[in-house]
Amino acid sequence: MMNHLTRRTLMKGLAATGLAGTLGSRLALAADEPLGITLVLPSPVGDVGWGHALAAGLEPVKAAYGDKVKVTVLENIQEGPDADRIMNKTVADGNKFLIAGSFGYQNGALQIARRDPSVTVLHASGFQVAPNFSPFAAKYFQGTYLLGMAAAALSKTGKLGSVSAFAIPELITSVNAFTLGAQAVNPDIEVSVVWVNSWFDPAKEQEAAKALIAQKCDVIFSNAQDTPSVIAACEEAGVYAFNLNSSMKKYAPKTYLGCVATDWSPFFKASVDAHLAGTFKGANTFLGVADKVVEVVDWNPDIPADTMTKIKELEAKIADGSFSPFTGPIAKADGSEGVAGGATLTDAEIVAMDWHVKGVASPLPK
Amino acid sequence: MNAIEFILAGMLAAATPFLLAALGEMVVERAGVLNLGVEGMMALGAVIAFIIVYHGGGHVLGFVAAGLASAILSLLFAVIALGFRANQVATGLAIGILGQGLSALFGKTYESLTVTGLPKLAVPGLSEIPVIGGLFVQDAAVWLTLAATLGIWAVFAYTKVGLVIRAIGENPKAAHAIGYPVIAIRVAAVAFGGAMAGFAGAYASVVYTPLWADGMIAGRGWIAIALVVFGTWLTGRIFLGACLFGAVSLMGLAAQATALDVPSQLLSSLPYIVTIVVLGIISADRRLLKLNGVASLGEPFER
Repeated sequence: MMNHLTRRTLMKGLAATGLAGTLGSRLALAADEPLGITLVLPSPVGDVGWGHALAAGLEPVKAAYGDKVKVTVLENIQEGPDADRIMNKTVADGNKFLIAGSFGYQNGALQIARRDPSVTVLHASGFQVAPNFSPFAAKYFQGTYLLGMAAAALSKTGKLGSVSAFAIPELITSVNAFTLGAQAVNPDIEVSVVWVNSWFDPAKEQEAAKALIAQKCDVIFSNAQDTPSVIAACEEAGVYAFNLNSSMKKYAPKTYLGCVATDWSPFFKASVDAHLAGTFKGANTFLGVADKVVEVVDWNPDIPADTMTKIKELEAKIADGSFSPFTGPIAKADGSEGVAGGATLTDAEIVAMDWHVKGVASPLPK
Repeated sequence: MNAIEFILAGMLAAATPFLLAALGEMVVERAGVLNLGVEGMMALGAVIAFIIVYHGGGHVLGFVAAGLASAILSLLFAVIALGFRANQVATGLAIGILGQGLSALFGKTYESLTVTGLPKLAVPGLSEIPVIGGLFVQDAAVWLTLAATLGIWAVFAYTKVGLVIRAIGENPKAAHAIGYPVIAIRVAAVAFGGAMAGFAGAYASVVYTPLWADGMIAGRGWIAIALVVFGTWLTGRIFLGACLFGAVSLMGLAAQATALDVPSQLLSSLPYIVTIVVLGIISADRRLLKLNGVASLGEPFER
């Protein structure tokens, strides 16, 4: 099997370089062959959302390397045996750089990495690490903190809301930082969260947004929704809203508060560079404003100028590392101490966060 | 707007996709045919309606085309399951998967796009009543769905057409013997069910959540099928079940929004629990259940 594939790859290389018929060393051919990069996604690549952000992150890599790389995007691949089979196939076809775009691909992708050390794997939101296998995640909380400040400055009712998918640490930290940012501007602000317990149900997400609006929440945080369900409902109701990953401003031209955008290209580019140079080293990568992966874009012009100045100051401080949203004292929702005064949560603690800060009115699903 | 007003105002719209699909499936099952492809037919209707409305064809044309498309898909089911007498469960599942696949294919370039929904129409006077006023402010599709519900109830309660459909579901051989075209009427029922599922999908994609996203039906077709069974094939109970399901799911969200200290997982599963319990209690009378059940459900008809 292995021999056959190598021969097939060789033949392809020969044809591609126009050297068919002549004998070249395998090494020389490998250098001439473009690097195959495959991105595997659980959802379709739309104009917006998670899949869109990942696919867009590969564009600069394509631009930088031209025909030295060959990018394949496989969308709508269900987590499970299907994904394992498809990832195995793409690697067997000679693609040496795999980006597994969903948590559920972890085991299959890790097996591939272990079996073939010449393959480099990047895996979204996971926790397993291998020499040629890096999990990656975004520090969304740095952006949601800044948007919390803007939300509190704009809110008339003092009530903010969030439509959130599942109560996992990544989403909990986003809500917590949003709340802390809002409290930095208005200490009495309250945040209600509706956990819809589904990654994908536009109708339910929209109902949840309307339920929050009915409770007088006048800024809504769409936490991990891939479609503009929440954003569009908020525009209709005339309340501010923001989301993660990629801008949905066109769905809410008037009330779009901003977007915690993720730009994966610096990370993808650096990883491809390292792979080609043979220096790739698997590590747990948690990337934020400082890495130019997380950036808040499309700020709403309604945000008061003095608040905006403060936001920009803090953004700079987050970028240079002198400020973290999770610096104590921070109280938990039940009143106990979450972070002691002066202490700052480490990345490892943030990744494992399973409690709401004081000010989040909704209970946390257990 | 407090939580109760929110639930009352949103309940009918939330129930509409379930109601349309379930009433269609009820007619199909009353005629003795089990079509499990509702989810896929809804998805196909949803994407067709969305494409038409997105390109400026308007909501009326969108609904009509969605109904036609899903009816055609259901006729494919009819050819295989009624014409060739294939197993109805397997055929229905296959047609459902086909519908979902087609919807993904047609919707590929429309992913995450949005359209404008329908305006709400208020009943003068009634909509001014405090608390329950919101019930009387609904879009045209909801009003039409309510009219259709009443119409279907009347057909089964008062007309010969209703009796013939029931007779064919109860005892197709006897119906055939007295001269009714069993297969033709079953095909018509299946097509009606398909069209209703198409309308349900259209309501989901161009009125209720006016956007297209692959997989947006998210299991609602299956809930509709369950409602038919728990509603014991009776229009009134299916209506009640759909409203209850809609109201309790909104209640769960409203409870979270008001920061009620109840686990959200429980609230998310509450619509299913409450609907099953309530309809279970209603149909606890075994004798009545037997009376309402469809005797030849899922059995192929051979003369």
